[in-house]
Amino acid sequence: MHELSLAIEIGRLVEEKLGADVSRCVSVGVEVGVASGVEPSALEFCLEAVFSHPPWNGAKAVLSSPPGDIFQVTWFEIEDDDSPED
Amino acid sequence: MTVRKIEIRERVMARNDELAAQVRARLAGHGITALNLMSSPGAGKTTLLERTLAELGEPLDMAVVAGDCQTQNDADRLAVHTGRLVQAIVTGGACHLDALQVNDALDHLDLAATRLLIIENVGNLVCPASWDLGEQARVVLFTVTEGEDKPLKYPRMFEKADWVVLTKTDLLPYVPFDIDVAERNCLQVNPALRFMRVSATTGDGLSEWFAFLRSVTPLAAS
Repeated sequence: MHELSLAIEIGRLVEEKLGADVSRCVSVGVEVGVASGVEPSALEFCLEAVFSHPPWNGAKAVLSSPPGDIFQVTWFEIEDDDSPED
Repeated sequence: MTVRKIEIRERVMARNDELAAQVRARLAGHGITALNLMSSPGAGKTTLLERTLAELGEPLDMAVVAGDCQTQNDADRLAVHTGRLVQAIVTGGACHLDALQVNDALDHLDLAATRLLIIENVGNLVCPASWDLGEQARVVLFTVTEGEDKPLKYPRMFEKADWVVLTKTDLLPYVPFDIDVAERNCLQVNPALRFMRVSATTGDGLSEWFAFLRSVTPLAAS
């Protein structure tokens, strides 16, 4: 299943941007085009596995399926610790 | 607590595509044509390559990179037919070759003495289609023991291909396979596909395959 290598690559892309702060990442938005050849449910399963291991801290994968063969990481959300939790 | 959303819009395949561009540039620098040979398992990639190496290995300065999940059986089979280097890539279970593996394999080939490189992908009609390896053309083997509807079931593989080689045509009398329907199904997915029909066992059609390989191989610098 190459979805696992794709999931690892998605993890790497976001880690490249965030470094150690990736532990504060709460969600990652991925566009999986319907003609991309990628199986969304398998990818979601693999992303869950990647995001549940350090340096990740359980971010949620949010997949969408636009038309075409686009396959990209569109956004990620990060929790800022500057304001204390309530 | 505040949550910030950051847009990045980065293609997941970007790194593989960069590496594929590197492979392409390396091959171009040495005047090498590379073909990515794909099919389902058991369609006859290795057998066709055995015949091809025996006939054209020396005249076309061929090299082969052979990928398999486990074992280097294919590379060993191929090496018997040629003094040319056959480089194995064992993917360790991965279902396809990627550009990084091919780039590393090129380090083990004598590129200056190579004009035609054939990359034998892992037998699989799904995953290899998504990974650019830096090849100039993609050749899919489609064997007559498969269903004629394979192109409809695995459209991406056929959409991305340039040539379809129908293999094991010597078995046509024994199997309920309509080769014209098979080709029509291919064209339905990709109208630009071109076809060859071969039997590596009887040799039927091989002259066309060999002529194709000669036509895509750059002339030797002399």
